Amino acid sequence: MAAPLKVDYAFDTEDLESSAKIVKFAILKKHQQQDAAQEHEVASFEETMLPHMDAAHNLAKWLLRNEEDAQDVVQEAYLRAFKSFSGFHGSNGRAWLLTIVRNTSYTLLKKNRAVDLTTTFDEEIHTAGYESVSPAAILEHSENAELIKEAMDALPMEFREILALRHQEGLSYKEIAEIAQIPPGTVMSRLSRARAELKEYLAARIGKDK
Amino acid sequence: MNCEEATKLMDGYLDGELDPITSQTIEQHLRDCPNCEQKYMANRALVNAIGSAIPYYKAPAGLRERIQCSLREEIADRPARAVPRLLVTRKQPEPRTTLFGTPWNWLSLGGLGLAAAIIFAAIIFSNLAPMLRRPGADQFLATQLIASHVRSLMVNHLTDVASSDQHTVKPWLDAKLDFAPPVVDLASEGFPLIGGRLDYLDNRTVAALIYQRRKHFINVFVWPGEAAARPALAMSHQGYQLLHWADPDFNYWAVSDVSASDLQTFKQQFEAQRSHH
Ligand SMILES: [Zn+2]
Repeated sequence: MAAPLKVDYAFDTEDLESSAKIVKFAILKKHQQQDAAQEHEVASFEETMLPHMDAAHNLAKWLLRNEEDAQDVVQEAYLRAFKSFSGFHGSNGRAWLLTIVRNTSYTLLKKNRAVDLTTTFDEEIHTAGYESVSPAAILEHSENAELIKEAMDALPMEFREILALRHQEGLSYKEIAEIAQIPPGTVMSRLSRARAELKEYLAARIGKDK
Repeated sequence: MNCEEATKLMDGYLDGELDPITSQTIEQHLRDCPNCEQKYMANRALVNAIGSAIPYYKAPAGLRERIQCSLREEIADRPARAVPRLLVTRKQPEPRTTLFGTPWNWLSLGGLGLAAAIIFAAIIFSNLAPMLRRPGADQFLATQLIASHVRSLMVNHLTDVASSDQHTVKPWLDAKLDFAPPVVDLASEGFPLIGGRLDYLDNRTVAALIYQRRKHFINVFVWPGEAAARPALAMSHQGYQLLHWADPDFNYWAVSDVSASDLQTFKQQFEAQRSHH
């Protein structure tokens, strides 16, 4: 009878180890398949979302006005997006990502108890006494990127946000409404105010330098 | 449409966001009202000029890698969520064996009697013995271990508890784990302790001890399980040195980019120190 022989044989530690190895082998194979599935998930996410990294960074930088915070927020936003990627079935990956970037930025600012959220633009300070500056004079200075940046940074967050989304990303009012979480009817009036205040800031700066 | 209404809708018209009928009404007003038309033209030129002059902040170099790294870290951490379950519920055995089960555990967990278990093991062995000549489980485990080692260096997450004092590292690990891994001081042997970390292998929390050799790091992964000591196993894989050994209480895998002989020395010193305790 062969079985007793095998029993003797099996008492060898090495043999037990070997049988365990077979099990290990099977389990590791399964894990490798899981790893492959996960790697595929990451790859598909990256293919859809990484092309919008510049847009994400640009928005975060305008919202936060700080490079380090902007990068932290973009990284965090990508992670959040990845975690809910299975629930994303839309075609507009950029708008979806920008919504997350925007929310993450606001969360960070609230956490830092930034006064920025409640800052309102003081029209009197910015506009008093510069009525004489003509649109043509402003237009002359409008290609001065340094000056535009200064003007943008002086605006409240909601205005920086809407200007970036419209002028830099070229998004529609509908997309902007979704990202900024405001009624579609509010987009036009907010954009109009943002542009007016940007112009007023420029007028003030140009008038002062004269 | 009067001038006030036209002014209010001007931005929407400029952006091409008005419905066709409102657009036509505005156009009509602009044709009829030179004042509004002039305002519109000036506004359009300015908005376009300013809009295109706003500096665009492209993502800096390195941000992509940072994102990719954090995504992979997220994936790697996923099994970690299953760990508390493993740590808390020890009342009933795992329904299937894990990488870390000893052969005895595996067989008895299968609900087999000891004798039947031995026969079963023998049959498996006799049938599949040729398979074992091929590089198998250890190679796969090596890949996992190297990935953990590399990840710990890459994402700046070498330690959860950074200390060269074994009396700091050990209690920290003991509190976090359901076993008490040995932590030894090898500073005078040229392997100063850097700290400890929790790591995850095969859904299992393991202890990672980090030692330094000159500018290189050694990750030692420790978990309980081996019933009997087995001969040390040295491997070289993907440019890393791996050394596995076990004592009656624990499995050890050391991973590093130090030389194979340095790693051997490390292991000998580790075992020597351990036997003092
Ligand atoms: Zn008019």
